[in-house]
Amino acid sequence: MSDGGRAEPALLRVDNLHVQVGGKPILNGLSLDVRAGEVHAVMGPNGSGKSTFANVLAGKADYEVTAGAVHWAGENLLELAPEERARRGVFLAFQYPVEIAGVSNMEFLKAAADAQALAAGQGAPSAVEFLKTARQAAADLGLSADFLKRGVNEGFSGGEKKRNEILQMLVLRPRLAILDETDSGLDIDALKVVADGINAFRAADNAVVLVTHYQRLLHHVVPDRVHVLAAGAIVRSGDASLALALEEKGYAWLDG
Amino acid sequence: MPGSMAEAAALARRLLQRRENGNGYAPWRDRDRCREVIVGQGLPASRSEQWRHTNVTRWYAAAQTADLGDAHVCVDAPAGVRVLDFADSQAAALAGEQGDIFDLAEHPLAAVNGLLLGAGVIVLAPAGVAATEPVRIKGLGAAFQRVLVVVEAGASLVVVEAPSPFTHRIVECVVGANAQLTHLRRQSASAGHECSLVAARVAAGGRYTLAHTSMGAALRRNDVLIELNGQQAEARVFGAWRLSSERHLDNQVLVRHAAGGGNSRQTYRGVAGGRSRAVLCGGIHIASGADFSDARLSAKNLLVSPTAQVFAKPALQIQASDVKCSHGATIGALDANSIHYLRSRGVGEETARALLTRAFLAEAVHDPEGASRLGLLP
Repeated sequence: MSDGGRAEPALLRVDNLHVQVGGKPILNGLSLDVRAGEVHAVMGPNGSGKSTFANVLAGKADYEVTAGAVHWAGENLLELAPEERARRGVFLAFQYPVEIAGVSNMEFLKAAADAQALAAGQGAPSAVEFLKTARQAAADLGLSADFLKRGVNEGFSGGEKKRNEILQMLVLRPRLAILDETDSGLDIDALKVVADGINAFRAADNAVVLVTHYQRLLHHVVPDRVHVLAAGAIVRSGDASLALALEEKGYAWLDG
Repeated sequence: MPGSMAEAAALARRLLQRRENGNGYAPWRDRDRCREVIVGQGLPASRSEQWRHTNVTRWYAAAQTADLGDAHVCVDAPAGVRVLDFADSQAAALAGEQGDIFDLAEHPLAAVNGLLLGAGVIVLAPAGVAATEPVRIKGLGAAFQRVLVVVEAGASLVVVEAPSPFTHRIVECVVGANAQLTHLRRQSASAGHECSLVAARVAAGGRYTLAHTSMGAALRRNDVLIELNGQQAEARVFGAWRLSSERHLDNQVLVRHAAGGGNSRQTYRGVAGGRSRAVLCGGIHIASGADFSDARLSAKNLLVSPTAQVFAKPALQIQASDVKCSHGATIGALDANSIHYLRSRGVGEETARALLTRAFLAEAVHDPEGASRLGLLP
């Protein structure tokens, strides 16, 4: 697989990725190309390796890559520290966002934006402008103004935590957003708000990978490609209609 | 044998001899009583239970050679608050009436302080006076020092003990009925050997707040005794410290509920890095008859280096029946998931650790100005 031959090289190229956790193989040869402007959905039953895939891309410790490669904008992503990945535009919306008591959401966002601006050789964004951006994003997601003053995810409901991940995505504007089960635990209204946020984020120069168990988010965010993960490898890929077929027939359909 | 009773006794004898060349400061102080305590019961040895984490012998050695100095009382006080040097002619009567609120026999180092006393000051907020500005104790100018703060009935006062080198300091706080005293204690990082005693007594409806911020020293030991001896008296103790390199901090705190309906809260957050050692013994004593007392203690410690040491021991003694009392002590490291979460947003590991450490300490910071001056928050 050479990069040179294509008119539009993949932004994210995952090639034959093998990953173990605690000595147990979880990903067994996962390959995936994502280009700018695309939304990919990675679906699969519980235990198929979806979250492992998302976490490995974000650089979480305790995941051992035993074979394969991941390239991001031409760079070996796996060699980069988590913060370096973020500074290069890779963002993971966590399935289980972490509660950090005593650090306000705003402080957290500003620290992230400052670190990313600094790494890009830019000055830190002005506090006033940044606050305005953050408040607007919060309002768009139906979050009250004092949401930014609260401790990061501290005492948030499940839905608030997920919306907070989308808020961070909208404010930090990554080039690749990997959303790990962001739709789980959301009621229908919240799902719609989150989907609107993702659709607003979609642009020609960024990409989204939706990791999800269910099809329901895909009613609102229509993916360009759908992949089905089973036992740590992609077993089928297709367009948005694949998700609909899965919803109708269930994952067992693939075994047949 | 270092730290033995014999060595302690020898050191005590030599400390007594130092006094023979004393400077005659504040002759009204009862030095005979101090001598009696030291000779009568000797000084503690390093092996004693109360000193098991602090080598008191090193402090004796420092006390041997400390420059006893001359009183040079430097205190800023707002209008309406009286400040009296112990050398002042009126000091004796006032101190005799209000001071000496702890049992000297239980604090032999305070007896050494009494014997070698070189500087003392009385700060008095008269009844009903609400001081608009804090009293700042900037310096006292001797190795052995004593401060007496009296807040009379209905008055309110903030006292700041700014860092100034000392070998031993006693701070007595007498809080009158319905009076309020906020005591901001700031201890900067120091290469010195310091011991101190804070003794507070709170009358009915009064409130004493101690906000202690410390960076540790080569040797630093703070004994704190707070007695709620009037109905509905309150105590708030905040302790926040961050130690690095070889620094040492030993805090022994006891809040004693001697009267009913009292309310006390102790909140400690400590960070130990490098090869430092942080010790906290947080005590609550609810005396017989002090019913309806409500006492809580929370002590959390963060170990940020494998070579640092933390000792945290809550000590409860409850002699009354109808009371609320709770305590919790933890020792742990920064949460790896929190660090990863911050890093996943582009925040570098060092900054992530600093942010989390700040958040951890913030719960016990009741003196943000002091915390900022000392560089407590990374």
